[in-house]
Amino acid sequence: MTRDAPAFLAVIEANKGIIYKVANFYCRNADNRKDLVQEIMVQLWLSFNKYDEKYSITTWMYRIALNVSISFYRKENRRDTINHPMPGEILILYEADTGSPQAEVELLYRCIRELKEIDRAVILLYLEGSAQQEIAEILGLSLTNVSTKVSRIKQQLKTAFSNLTT
Amino acid sequence: MEDKDIIALWRFYDDSLKQALVLNTKNAEEITKLKVQSFLASMKPIKVFTLIIGILWVGFIDMLLVNLYHVASPFFLISMGVQVLLTKLAIGVYVYQLVLLHGTDVSEPILATQERIARLISSTLWITRLLFLQFPVWTTFYLSMGMLKGSNWWQLVITLGITGVFTWIGVWFFVNIKYENRDKRWFQLIFRGREWTPVMKSRELLGQISEYRDER
Repeated sequence: MTRDAPAFLAVIEANKGIIYKVANFYCRNADNRKDLVQEIMVQLWLSFNKYDEKYSITTWMYRIALNVSISFYRKENRRDTINHPMPGEILILYEADTGSPQAEVELLYRCIRELKEIDRAVILLYLEGSAQQEIAEILGLSLTNVSTKVSRIKQQLKTAFSNLTT
Repeated sequence: MEDKDIIALWRFYDDSLKQALVLNTKNAEEITKLKVQSFLASMKPIKVFTLIIGILWVGFIDMLLVNLYHVASPFFLISMGVQVLLTKLAIGVYVYQLVLLHGTDVSEPILATQERIARLISSTLWITRLLFLQFPVWTTFYLSMGMLKGSNWWQLVITLGITGVFTWIGVWFFVNIKYENRDKRWFQLIFRGREWTPVMKSRELLGQISEYRDER
């Protein structure tokens, strides 16, 4: 795949939720989250021409978004090597009156952010409904290993969530 | 709350997100026009620069050692020999880091990529250990047999004392600078500051990755 901006933007538009959710999993501070979204976008763009079609586009996006987010949380100094100032906010979340149980979602995020970095990646993929095969491909684990981890982390999350909601 | 309730909550949230999340196309398009390099590639120039300086230094000292072999004091030859050997080891760490950088691709699976990045960052601790180990040679390279023979006993005691203290400090730090000592006060004093946070977090992540691989 060549580095074709319109094709790239179409992929991002179709899967923008992945970027937003991954960034939200690893960054609780809103300003840092904006930086993280930009960083993920930059890495996605830089890797776009290397996309390997034997994996689905979502596998490719999850790998990059998760790798960048896990690395980003380690960095105290944000990107300071760019040659140009970064553009403004890329993903904007409008407050929609959808009747969504926002408080419960916030609690769920709170429990998730308490998990270790790699456990967070596993639970995100599980909640997103990814097949175990896809989780294995994204993480680089065997199928049996994925299944063990999913059950352990699910249990951990369930307990933490129940403790907070009761 | 059961599994299915958590999944149902997530789906509900996901559906509301689909309606509320908007891509700012103009800003997203700007990203495709920026001349940026990946965050990993951005670490390369400073490492390459340090490597070049290190190689030049090692070349210069090696040349001095060869050319002055028959005239220089044994203190100079041994001290600089040790210094240049430790610098060569540090150069080896930089080469290792560049190899890791070169082979890291953020579109590869998470565990492998994170392990490479964590190893890359945490190897910086090795450079600090080697730096401390050089301490004593800076107290001996200028000595000569003539200086020692012409010294009083108390001058000798002071000279040997300083070298002894520096050797003790250098070896102690070399042995004790390790992640396991991260909670010690002296360790936190040396490694406090923003630039060390990623190093410490990398070691933490390496621990997680190894637990992950061992878990059955």
